[in-house]
Amino acid sequence: MNKELYLGVDVGSVSTNLVLMEKSGDILEKLYLKTSGHPVETLKNGLSRFKAMLGNKTEILAAGATGSGRQLAGLLIGADVVKNEITAHAVAALSVEPEVRTILEIGGQDSKIIFVRNGVVYDFAMNTVCAAGTGSFLDRQASRLDIPIEEFGGYALRAKNPVRIAGRCAVFAESDMIHKQQTGHCNEDIIAGLCLALVRNYLNNLAKGKEIPGPVVFQGGVAANVGIVAAFEKILGSSIVIPRHYDVMGAYGAAILAKEHIGETGKKTCFHGFDCVNDNFSVKSLECKDCPNRCEVVKISVGGELKACMGDRCGKWNCLPKDMSMNA
Amino acid sequence: MLVTFPNMGNVAFAARALCQGLKIPYVMPEKNNKDTLRRGSFYAPEEICLPFKVMLGNFLECIEKGADTILFVGSCGPCRFGEYCELHMKILRRLGYGNVNIVVADFSPEIGIDALRHRIAAISDKSPVGKLEKLKAVKNAMIIEALCDRLDRIAYEMAGYEVNRGTCKRLMYEYKAKILESKEPDETIAMLRGYLRKFGEVKTDLSLDPVKIAIIGEIYTVIDPFSNLYIEEKLMDLGASSSRMLTPTWWVKDLVMKPVKLNSPNINRAARKYMPFPVGGHGKECIGEAVLAAKKGMDGAIQILPLGCMPEVISKAILPSIRRDYSFPFMTLIVDEVTGEAGINTRLEAFLDMLGSIKKRGGSGRKHNLTKMEPAGSLLRRCANEADRKELFFE
Repeated sequence: MNKELYLGVDVGSVSTNLVLMEKSGDILEKLYLKTSGHPVETLKNGLSRFKAMLGNKTEILAAGATGSGRQLAGLLIGADVVKNEITAHAVAALSVEPEVRTILEIGGQDSKIIFVRNGVVYDFAMNTVCAAGTGSFLDRQASRLDIPIEEFGGYALRAKNPVRIAGRCAVFAESDMIHKQQTGHCNEDIIAGLCLALVRNYLNNLAKGKEIPGPVVFQGGVAANVGIVAAFEKILGSSIVIPRHYDVMGAYGAAILAKEHIGETGKKTCFHGFDCVNDNFSVKSLECKDCPNRCEVVKISVGGELKACMGDRCGKWNCLPKDMSMNA
Repeated sequence: MLVTFPNMGNVAFAARALCQGLKIPYVMPEKNNKDTLRRGSFYAPEEICLPFKVMLGNFLECIEKGADTILFVGSCGPCRFGEYCELHMKILRRLGYGNVNIVVADFSPEIGIDALRHRIAAISDKSPVGKLEKLKAVKNAMIIEALCDRLDRIAYEMAGYEVNRGTCKRLMYEYKAKILESKEPDETIAMLRGYLRKFGEVKTDLSLDPVKIAIIGEIYTVIDPFSNLYIEEKLMDLGASSSRMLTPTWWVKDLVMKPVKLNSPNINRAARKYMPFPVGGHGKECIGEAVLAAKKGMDGAIQILPLGCMPEVISKAILPSIRRDYSFPFMTLIVDEVTGEAGINTRLEAFLDMLGSIKKRGGSGRKHNLTKMEPAGSLLRRCANEADRKELFFE
C-alpha cells in the first residue's frame, strides 16, 4: 500500500523548509535549505530531494504553503492551503505543546511573538522597523568575527563577564561591538553581551511590557543558537521549550493546516505531484499603466501557459485559480 | 488662474465639483501613487509625517501641469498639520514656484473670520457665476462628498456579505472612474445615486457572519488608500467587513460644530473615561471610536498612523486598557514610505485568522452590554431607499 503523507512548505527570506508529515502528525522527513535569493529553484531542489528519498510508494494527501513566498510556492506545488506564517507557527506550536501560552519565533528577517489563551491566538506582534535581533544579523556578526554560526552561541555560554551592547538598532549594536573589541574585551564576553542585547530588544519591541506567561515555546532558525536561548532564560527567569523540529515549524504548521482543510472539506488535493519540479515555471512582472494606481503585476506561467496574476488592486489581472483557497 | 487641491480620498472629487460649479479652471491631481510619493519625499523634510510628503507630491505634480493656485485647509494645529501650509509654501518658494498662491482656509479663531472671508473671496471673485450659483456649487460639492463617503462605507461593509467575491470592489472602482468622466456636478450626483441603487442590488448572503473590523487612527492615513497600503481593499479581498467613522464628511461636520461644542458627541462621550481632554490631531477620536466599536460588537480594530504621529502614539498607549476592559483586540499599523506589502499582508491575514478563531470559540466573552449591531439587511435596504433622498449631508 502507498504511504499517505502531508506536505508542508515554508518559503522564507533566508531559509526554505519542507516537511513530510505522517497521518499521525509525526514528521517523517524535513529539509532546511538556504533560500539564497532563489525561492523557486530552492523549492524545486527540495521537492526533487524528497522525491528521491521516497520513490514512488507514497501519496500526498494534502499540501500547504506558508512564509513570505507562500503565494509563489502555493502556485508551484498546487497547495490546498496558503497561509500566513503567524497562523502556521501558532498551529505547529500548539500541536507540539498544547498548553503553550507564549510563542517566540525568530527567523531570518523577522521575529514574532504570539500569545495564546485556551488554545486560541489572542494577540501577536511582529517586528516593524528593525531586523536587529533576527537571524541575518547574527549571521553577519558571526562572519565578521570569523566564527561559524553553529558555534556562535557556544561562545556566549563560555562568557564570564558579558559586556553591555546597545540592542536598539543593528547598526548601533555593531558599532558598540567593534568598540568593545578594540578596547580588548574577548569575543566570548562580546557575544554574550550581544545575545542579551538582542533579547532585550526583542522583548521591548514585540512584547512591549506585556506579561509573558509560560509555557514558552521558542522556535525558528535562531532557536538553534544556545546563546540566545540562555539569554531568554536569564531575562525571563524561566525555562523555555524548544521543539524538536524548531527549525521547520512553519512548514509543519502548513502541513497540519492542509490536513485539516482536506479533512474538513473532503476535497481531493490540488497537489501537482513531485514531478512539478520539471515544469517550466516562469515569472514575469510588469507595471500596469491603465490607472494611476500603477500596480506591479506579477504574471506566473507554468509550461508556457499563464496560470495566475497577482499584485493588482482592481481585480482586472487577478486570475488566481479558483480551487486554491486563499484563506481557508 | 488654474486651481488645484491635494488628494485625500474622495475630497478631490468634491473640490473638483466645486471648481466645476464655480466655473473656475482646475487641475485634478492624479490618484496618489508611487510617483506622488517619490516627488514629495524628495523635497520634504525627512522626519515629517507621511501625509505631508504625499500632499507635496500632489502639489508638485499639478504645478508641473500649470496650476498656480492651491486650495488647502490649515489650522493653528495642535499637531504637525499646523505647520503644513507654511512649510509647503517655504518649500515651493525654494523650488522656484514663488508665484504659486496657496489659499489656506483656516478656521481657527486666532486667524479670525475676516481673514477667512478675505481668503475665500480671492477664489470666489474669480468665478463668473452669480451668488446663488456659488451657493449651489458649494452645496453640490458637499453632496458629492457625502455620496462618495456613503458609497465607500457601503462597499467596505457589504464586502463581507457579498455572494460573488469582488462585486463591491468592482462597483467602487467603477464609480470612481466614472466621476472623472462627468463634466457637471448635477450629472455626477445623478450617477452616484444610481450607484447607490446598484449597491442595493448586489447579491448578498445575510446569513454570513464575516469578521467585522473598525478602522481607526490618523485621519489622512485612514482615508487615503495609497497611504495605508490599500488596507480596506485588502480586507474586502479577504472577505471581511470593515467600517470607519472618520470621513471627509465627518471632518466638515466636526469642524462646523466645534465652536458650539456639539461636535461628535458620541465619540467624545465614549472617549471620556480614557482620555478626558484632546491631545491634538484626532487622538481622542481614535479612543472614542475604539470604545464605540467594542460596544457595537465588532470583532476587532486596526489603528493606522504615520510614523511619528504624536496624537496617535498617545492613543496607541491607551488602547491596551480598552483591550483589557472590553477584551477587544487591536492591531496597530505604522505606515511610512514603505510600499512593500508582504509584511502588511501577513499581519492582516494573521489578524483576521485570530479574530475568526476567537469568533468560532463563541466570541471574546465580553461582559459589557453590547449595543445592538445593525443587521446587515437594514444596511442594504437603507442604501436603496437613500438613493433618492435629497439631503444626505445633513442627516
